[in-house]
Amino acid sequence: MRHVIIGGSIAGISAAKAIRQSDPSAEVAVLSGEKTRPYYRPMIPFLINKGDIDITFEDDLEKRFGFAVAYEKAAGIDVAKKEVRLESGRNISYDRLLIATGSRAVVPAIPGIRGEAVFTLRTAQDARSIGKSAEKARSAVVLGGGLVGIKTAIALRKAGLGVTIVEKLDCILPGKFDRRGSEIISNIVEREGIRVLTGMSIVEAVRAEGELRGVRLSSGDTLDAGMLIVAAGTRPDLDAVKDTGIRTQTGIVIDENLRTSVPDIYAAGDVVEYTDLVFGRPAVSALWTNAEEMGRLAGRNMAGGKAKYEGFLSVLNSSEIFDVPVMAIGLIEPDPLSREYESLVEDNVDSYRKLVFKGSVLVGAVFINDVENAGIYTNLIRSRMQIGGLKEEAIKGSLRYINFIRTVPEQTMSA
Amino acid sequence: MKQIFVRPELCMGCRSCEIGCAVQHSKDKTLFSAVLQSPPPSPRLFVESAEDVKMPVICRHCEEAPCLNGCISGCLYRDEKGFVRRKKERCIGCWSCMMLCPFGVITRDKEKRIAVKCDRCHKLDLPACVNACPTGALQLVDLDEVPKEIRGRAVLSGTRAYKP
Repeated sequence: MRHVIIGGSIAGISAAKAIRQSDPSAEVAVLSGEKTRPYYRPMIPFLINKGDIDITFEDDLEKRFGFAVAYEKAAGIDVAKKEVRLESGRNISYDRLLIATGSRAVVPAIPGIRGEAVFTLRTAQDARSIGKSAEKARSAVVLGGGLVGIKTAIALRKAGLGVTIVEKLDCILPGKFDRRGSEIISNIVEREGIRVLTGMSIVEAVRAEGELRGVRLSSGDTLDAGMLIVAAGTRPDLDAVKDTGIRTQTGIVIDENLRTSVPDIYAAGDVVEYTDLVFGRPAVSALWTNAEEMGRLAGRNMAGGKAKYEGFLSVLNSSEIFDVPVMAIGLIEPDPLSREYESLVEDNVDSYRKLVFKGSVLVGAVFINDVENAGIYTNLIRSRMQIGGLKEEAIKGSLRYINFIRTVPEQTMSA
Repeated sequence: MKQIFVRPELCMGCRSCEIGCAVQHSKDKTLFSAVLQSPPPSPRLFVESAEDVKMPVICRHCEEAPCLNGCISGCLYRDEKGFVRRKKERCIGCWSCMMLCPFGVITRDKEKRIAVKCDRCHKLDLPACVNACPTGALQLVDLDEVPKEIRGRAVLSGTRAYKP
């Protein structure tokens, strides 16, 4: 059986490993649109400050797992012939195909945005280009206060630049942290010298003789900037599935076995749209951990397995913001008008904890500077276990694995 | 493969395992120098209690390890013996592993700002925690000798006796 995987990042690589582990006789070819060895993509903000750190997968993939990565970009798929068209003009045939093309940065149509000194951050190459440009620039504007924007802003600040984050909504990390969490993180980054402007957009990238001089804001003010980083979100990269009949909405629609609407074609990772476990509606995940899981399950199924994918948490973030650990998991900002949800909060001088319950089921958690045992909460959110009697322990942070054992009802016990 | 098997009904909560673990992961690996070390070495397993149950909670080196699968930096890896270990120099302190470990057995080294977890004392024949346990609540057993069904029941039932 010949498996072809379009995409050489985590979803594609974990699928390739899973295929080979399930079926050692399978032939697996991974096509990567990037020219570099597969790497840990969430690490790329670190390349801005240190372009030479090793962020690649250390596994000798070919030797250990028996598949090779070909550095060729797929141009399209011939579904009838079961062939992938490569940009080089070559075609390769498949018995089963995985689409793991990931996502790409969204660049809004703003006058002056095309041209030098404007960057997105999606690849290791992008990060190194930003790092190089930062050596000369004195100031930078980051468009977008999401996680990528903040991580980029931190890296540029550490490189000594004056940095301003411009976020269109009224708080940073919209959707990724609750309001209070966002406010705390905003205070941390501002304390470290990053300016945060919310409720504002960029209406023009101001250039003189082609050279970037700054940005004009919706308020009418102008900010000087030698660099503009566009971190305004991502969108599934659907180029490869054009004209294939594969069903897409925002992303590729998959079933519970990670199959697309076309036989023998699977999809995994950021390119996919699937059920969010706590929101109960389709979402695009754009997270490493979820892409790894989807790839692994898709690979297993491509090799003949029947793994069922329950869905992901599209909010599942852990990070350090200037030495302060911050985490947000699941449904973190329930509709204030809804009576279905109950939020418990411990807002202290040096730490913040918030838990969101739906009845006796934990559905969301935010932890700032108090992240011990967070995995227990993540697991409770994912498993939708009833923990009504443990709410107090949960918010105080004294919940332990042993409590969790005790709440397993007798009838669910099986080995 | 031999694994650490926890028998909660034998645990009296003495925390000898925690001390054994901390000493083994201290600079000089002796109790006397470990207590003087600053910051003190921390254990990588934890004796927890609830109502009438006590037991050491320890890294399972899961077959599908959420910490390893979710590691974004390439720090965590599975070694040739099957243990989930760290390449310390690659940890960036993002705490993704902590966010994902359902047992809560990954902690932070707040000085070095890296994640700390059980390394199954990979250089020792007998892990330090098992060696330190005076009651047999921690045992090193060959998995094939304890049927899966009994292992599952022993863990989930907490106090109920394990009858081989």
